[in-house]
Amino acid sequence: MNCCLCDQTLRPKSSWRGILLYEPPEVACQPCRNEFAKITRPGCKICGKEGEMICPDCHYWQAHGYRDVIQSGKSLFHYNDAMKDWFHQYKFLKDILLAQVFAGDLKEALKNERAVAVPIPLNEEKLRERSFSQVDQLLEAANIPYRHLLEKCGETLGGKNRQERMDAQQLFRLNGETVPKQLVLVDDLYTTGTTMRHAAKVLQEAGAESIRILALIRA
Amino acid sequence: MQAIEAFLTGRIWIKQFVPFPEEQVQAAIDKGHVKVVSGISADGECARCLEKSPDYVIPFQCARCGEVCHYCRRCIKMGRISSCTELVLWTAPAPSKAAPRAFGWAGNLTLLQENASKAISGSIREEQDHLLYAVCGAGKTEILFLPIHEALQRGMRICVAAPRTDVILELSPRFHQAFPDAAIHTLYGDSPEQSGYGEIVLATTHQLYRFQEAFDLLFVDEADAFPYSLDPSLERAVKKAAKPSAPVIYISATPSKTLRKQIAGHSTIFRRYYGAPLPVPAYRALWNYERQIRKGKIPPPLKGWIEDKLRKKQPFLLFFPSIQLIGQAYPLLRQIDPRIESVHANDPQRKEKVMQLREGTLSGLATSTILERGITIPHLQVAVIGADHPVFDRAALIQIAGRVGRSAKDPTGDVVFFHGGITRQMDAARQDILFYNKEGEA
Repeated sequence: MNCCLCDQTLRPKSSWRGILLYEPPEVACQPCRNEFAKITRPGCKICGKEGEMICPDCHYWQAHGYRDVIQSGKSLFHYNDAMKDWFHQYKFLKDILLAQVFAGDLKEALKNERAVAVPIPLNEEKLRERSFSQVDQLLEAANIPYRHLLEKCGETLGGKNRQERMDAQQLFRLNGETVPKQLVLVDDLYTTGTTMRHAAKVLQEAGAESIRILALIRA
Repeated sequence: MQAIEAFLTGRIWIKQFVPFPEEQVQAAIDKGHVKVVSGISADGECARCLEKSPDYVIPFQCARCGEVCHYCRRCIKMGRISSCTELVLWTAPAPSKAAPRAFGWAGNLTLLQENASKAISGSIREEQDHLLYAVCGAGKTEILFLPIHEALQRGMRICVAAPRTDVILELSPRFHQAFPDAAIHTLYGDSPEQSGYGEIVLATTHQLYRFQEAFDLLFVDEADAFPYSLDPSLERAVKKAAKPSAPVIYISATPSKTLRKQIAGHSTIFRRYYGAPLPVPAYRALWNYERQIRKGKIPPPLKGWIEDKLRKKQPFLLFFPSIQLIGQAYPLLRQIDPRIESVHANDPQRKEKVMQLREGTLSGLATSTILERGITIPHLQVAVIGADHPVFDRAALIQIAGRVGRSAKDPTGDVVFFHGGITRQMDAARQDILFYNKEGEA
C-alpha cells in the first residue's frame, strides 16, 4: 500500500500499541500529514477561526438575525495549499478513499460526543452527479454514527461571491425525521458560515435546543 | 472521414465527454461503429489504464447507480472512471490513409546515425521491435526522421511517447518542421484539445491510457526503466496503445539488461554526433559531507571545485541527493557566490533558472536529479555531491555525466563524483562510459 497523497511506499511504524491492539492501517505518510496545518491557537468560539473570541464573520451573523442560533463549535484545519489539494482531489476528482486521511482527527474531535451528528446534505441531483456525499463519507470513514435531518433545496452556494452567499434565502428544509434536543452539525468546509447558519436555523425552529458545529476545514 | 470517426479512432474515451452531440454518439453506437464498455470490468480491471490492484481499484457505495461500484485511482487525474462510467471505442475498421507526405528535414546524418536509421527502417518493415542504444548527445531524434517519413508514406499511424512533458514539448517543433503537412498531435497533462485524427501523436506515456490499439508504430523515448519500471502501468499503456502487430522502437542511453536481452534488433551509437568521446567521471572523496553541510560548512574539496569554476567563468550544476540537503547547502553556496540558485522538481521557475544559467546571469545551480536529462548548456561542468547515495543509480549517473561536453566546440568538461565511499553503481556508470568510449573508437 502506498500513501494515498504522494504515492510513495508507506513504512508502517511498529509500536507496542499496534502489537497489542488493532490499529487501522495508515493511508497517508507522515511527510504528507505534516503539510496539513491544524488549528491550534484559541479563537472564535463559534467557528474556531484563530484570533478574536468572536470572528468578524460570526459577529455579522450575531448582528443579523442569527444571535445564538449556534451555541459553539470548532474547525480542525486551516485551508492551506496541502488542504486545497486534498479538497480538490476528494470532492472534485471524487477520490473517495481520501476520506480516510482525516478519520482519526474527526474521531478524536467527536469522541465522548453525546449529541447526534448531523451531516450537511447535498441535493439529490448533485449527489447522483458526484456519486457520493463528501460529508457522509468523512463520518463513515471515521466510524461515527450520524443521522440526516435535512434536505437541500435548489439553491447552492458554489460559484457565488461573499455577499450573495450571505444573502441566500432558504437552503434547507426538514426531511421529516424527529429533531433531537442536542445535535452537532458537520460540514467539510466552513467559508462564510452561511450553510451552517441556515441549517441551524431550520433545526432550531423545529425544536433543537443546543446546536453546535464541527467543520473539518476553516477557510 | 467523419469528424467523430477521426476523433474516436484508436481512442478510448468517457462517453459523457466525447466532444460531439449526444445524438451523434448514440447514432454511431446504434450503427455498431462505436462499442460501449464499462469503466471498470466485472473482475475489477480499469478499462483505460488496465490497473487491477485492489490498492488502486477501490470499491464504494455509488449514489449514481445505487450499487457497489469500483473506481480507479491510478488514472483519476484524467477524470475519474468507475464501474458505472461508460467508455466508448470506435470499432469500425479505418480505411487506409496512405498519402504522400512532405519531408522538411534537410540535415545530414553521420555514418553511425545513418546505419542506425537504416536498421530501424528495416525492423519496421519486418514488424520487429528494435532498441536504439545511443549515448547522450548522439543525435537520436534525427535518426528517427527517415524511418518515420517512410512509415507515414505507407499510411501508418505513429506515436512517439516519452515519460516527461519537457521532452514532448521539445520534440513538437522539430516534428512540425520535419513533417510540415502531416497531422501532428502533441498530448501531455494540460495540453490544449486537438481535433481530428493525428497521424503522428507525440505524447507523454500517461496519455497513452487514452488510446487502444491505435498505432501501427510506436517509439518509446527514454526507455531506460523498461521493462521493470517503477510504474508498471506505463508499460501496459504502451502495449495497449499499440496494434497487436505494431513494432515498438525503444530508445535509451542506459537500457536495462533485460531490455537489451529481450529485443533482438539493436543499433548502438557510442559516440557523440561530432565524434568526441564522453567525459569520464572522476572520483573525489568527501567524507561526512552531510554532517558538514548540516553544521554550516561546505566541505573544502567541494568549495575549491566551485571556486575554480567561478574563476574560469564556467557554468556548473551541483547534483544533490535530496531536496532537504539542497535547502541546507543553499545559504552556504550563496556565501561563496550570490549568483548560485537552487531548483527542484516542484519549482515553478525551473525553466527560467536553467535559461539564466545558460545566459550567464547565474553562475551555477544546485539541483535534485530532476535536471539529469534533457538539458544542454555549452561549457557546462558537473559535480555530484554524495554520488554514493541510492538515488544516484547507474542510469542516473550516466545521464548526469552526459550533460557535459555536448557541443562540438567544447567537447570536454568536468564530471566529478564527490562521494563518501565508492558504490557499485558509481563503478558501473564509470565502466559503462569507458566501454562506450572504447567501442566508439573502433
